[in-house]
Amino acid sequence: MVVTFVRLRFRILANGLRGQGSRVALFVLGAVIGVGLGVGGWFVFAVPGLADSERAAGILLPLGGGALVLGWLFLPLVFFGVDETLDPARFALLPLRRRTLISGLFAASLTGIPAIATLVATLGMVETTRRLGGLGASTVAFVGVVLGVLLCSALSRAVTSAFSTSLRSRRGRDLATIAFALVAALLGPLQLAALAGAEHADWDRVADVAAVVAWTPFGAPYTVGLDVAEGRAWAVPIKLLLVVAAIAGLLWWWSSTLERAMVGAAGSSRRLPTLDTGLPVARLLFRWLPRNRFGALVARDVRYWWRETRRRATLITFSVVGIFLPVMLALSGTGASATLLFVGAVAAINLANQFGFEGSAYAANVAAGVPGRVEVRSRAAGFSVYVIPLLLVIAVVVGFVSGSPASIPSSFGTLIATYGVGLGIILPTSVRAAYALPDSTNPFAMSSGGGLAKGLLTFAAILGAIIATLPVQLAAYLLGDVWLWAGLPVAVAYGTAAYLLGSRLAGDLVDRRMPELLAAVSPHR
Amino acid sequence: MTVPVQRSADDGPAMSLQGLVKQFDTKLAVAGVDLDVPASSFYGLLGPNGAGKTTTLSMAVGLLRPDAGRALLLGYDVWADPATAKGLIGVLPDGVRLFDRLTGAELLAYHGLLRGMDAAVVDQRAQELLDVLELGAGNRTLIVDYSAGMKKKIGLACALLHGPRLLILDEPFEAVDPVSAALIRDILQRYVAGGGTVVFSSHVMEVVERLCSHVAIMSAGAIRVQGTISAVRGKRSLEDVFVEVVGGRTVTGSELAWL
Repeated sequence: MVVTFVRLRFRILANGLRGQGSRVALFVLGAVIGVGLGVGGWFVFAVPGLADSERAAGILLPLGGGALVLGWLFLPLVFFGVDETLDPARFALLPLRRRTLISGLFAASLTGIPAIATLVATLGMVETTRRLGGLGASTVAFVGVVLGVLLCSALSRAVTSAFSTSLRSRRGRDLATIAFALVAALLGPLQLAALAGAEHADWDRVADVAAVVAWTPFGAPYTVGLDVAEGRAWAVPIKLLLVVAAIAGLLWWWSSTLERAMVGAAGSSRRLPTLDTGLPVARLLFRWLPRNRFGALVARDVRYWWRETRRRATLITFSVVGIFLPVMLALSGTGASATLLFVGAVAAINLANQFGFEGSAYAANVAAGVPGRVEVRSRAAGFSVYVIPLLLVIAVVVGFVSGSPASIPSSFGTLIATYGVGLGIILPTSVRAAYALPDSTNPFAMSSGGGLAKGLLTFAAILGAIIATLPVQLAAYLLGDVWLWAGLPVAVAYGTAAYLLGSRLAGDLVDRRMPELLAAVSPHR
Repeated sequence: MTVPVQRSADDGPAMSLQGLVKQFDTKLAVAGVDLDVPASSFYGLLGPNGAGKTTTLSMAVGLLRPDAGRALLLGYDVWADPATAKGLIGVLPDGVRLFDRLTGAELLAYHGLLRGMDAAVVDQRAQELLDVLELGAGNRTLIVDYSAGMKKKIGLACALLHGPRLLILDEPFEAVDPVSAALIRDILQRYVAGGGTVVFSSHVMEVVERLCSHVAIMSAGAIRVQGTISAVRGKRSLEDVFVEVVGGRTVTGSELAWL
């Protein structure tokens, strides 16, 4: 039965690639990157073994493994989404027991590139253990590493599924916000430990942290081999039990949220219809918007960012990451300004597939012949309604947390500059590289390759934004105190200019490629 | 820009498709369609599933770029001068989503303003349409929660809102219950009586037979027969003509014995 699921996954993947040159290229590129990361990771994790250092192994294996698991928790939510080649909702009508369905979907999810790359990378730990403790230890380590991959995959599935369920219900969205905050907060201590340890070269403290992590499900699968090598074989069954229990718990969690999602897909009543007496135009448009085409487009976009699950997930994720990341780094004393560059660029990246969000509904705008520039600028404006106040909040919070309120205007300037430059890069990309999102109930769902496309775009755009804002950064560095008051207007002007350039380019692209864009974002029927 | 410049009916056909071709990967979906729709006609485009009706209409309204051919709407080439041509027509596409996270009233307001209409006119017409189509002017249900029939009705309302002289509707009667279908029929008949032109696709013979002045039968990406309904039908029923033109298969009784 499990084999059927795996075969089905590959069949769908192959059919999706057939005759689609760009998708094949993307898939191959993804495989190459996956292999590269896997092999690179293998060498990193094999280093303590090659150097014959038990102490280094005791630090690297639990912390590196733990970071991997955290990455599986965090990255699908923020950047990549989960590969949903097999959409669980499609199985709703089949007479499958839940156990069969879950094990099938789980097995299929393990055949993806990320899971294989993770396995390859962590096999480096097996090599380390073999050199330190011989064949017996490495066999145990191998079991641990395999369990580790299972844990990673189960974790990402369970968390994205749970989030999509709670994001769909209106009552649950506050809950989702809080849970997200917790996830982000979880990252904090790890970063702090890593930073503090690295800065002060206080390896004893790091070793203490590593020893603790080794006893959590995050580090346990990666340290069992080491335990054998160091003569603590008694710890192995306990740790394995811990990991297996964690996997079982996650799978149970996944299956329970999945069931709700599947039922929800068949027929859902969001809220009781109540009567509204306003006039249609006043109900669509906010008071502050002009009563014309641009106003209607912006109003629709603003409403969509909140009403549509995928966009809401994007927005909430960005809010939490955007606030927590700089604050965490500001608390640890360094790097807050670097993360501001990152946050501004990531804000713009949320629009990387802006046309894919509503899919074929874009046909309405095509049929009405909306000019490209109006289309692109209204979308940027709709998103900015949320983002610009948020960036202001981030600047203020970071300013106070890092103890230099005077830098708030220039920080805000940096954020606006990177956001503007990011938009300048992303808006044309969003027209050229639009892709259809699967018609799934899971807002984190990606078709095969979609996650990679998004990830690549993200890194390219961050890099581009950072390079393009170099003049502003250089000015900030050279001018010192003058920048504190001159920074805001200069940076805002810089960001605005980049945005105007990008939106003009994107608008012309839309005018030329309207039907092609519509075809690109319409899911295959 | 609320009322586009109109041309008189004798200027020529309301819609004229000339040699439209569309190839998808390996499949030739539309293999050269020529079709003239006279002004003030009620034109039915018939065809089995997969005949290329949706592809043809998508190319006619500017949603899908043809590989070859031209599409003239009220005399304007939709691919050479999209802004003008698109402003003159109302479209109900099939198989694409609406902006379904809006309520019915919000969607109508959106379409109205998108077409450059005055806000007061949008309000007045939108409420009237919601009322006549029994969608409830004060209804706050999001369109995503509408029934299939209600979705068709709100889509039709969006196409009618700006008072176009040519309506191009893809499967307007699909998934619509008999009561709503009768309502839509009445609205469309009044629209044609008032000088408008309707082109719609369907595979339901009864509707076409009852409504249309003209009909074209499409199969495998080409128009097989076209003309006034009496000329196409002759003395037979439209269904007989359709099956003969399309070449359907009949069940003899030996297959599916297990049923």
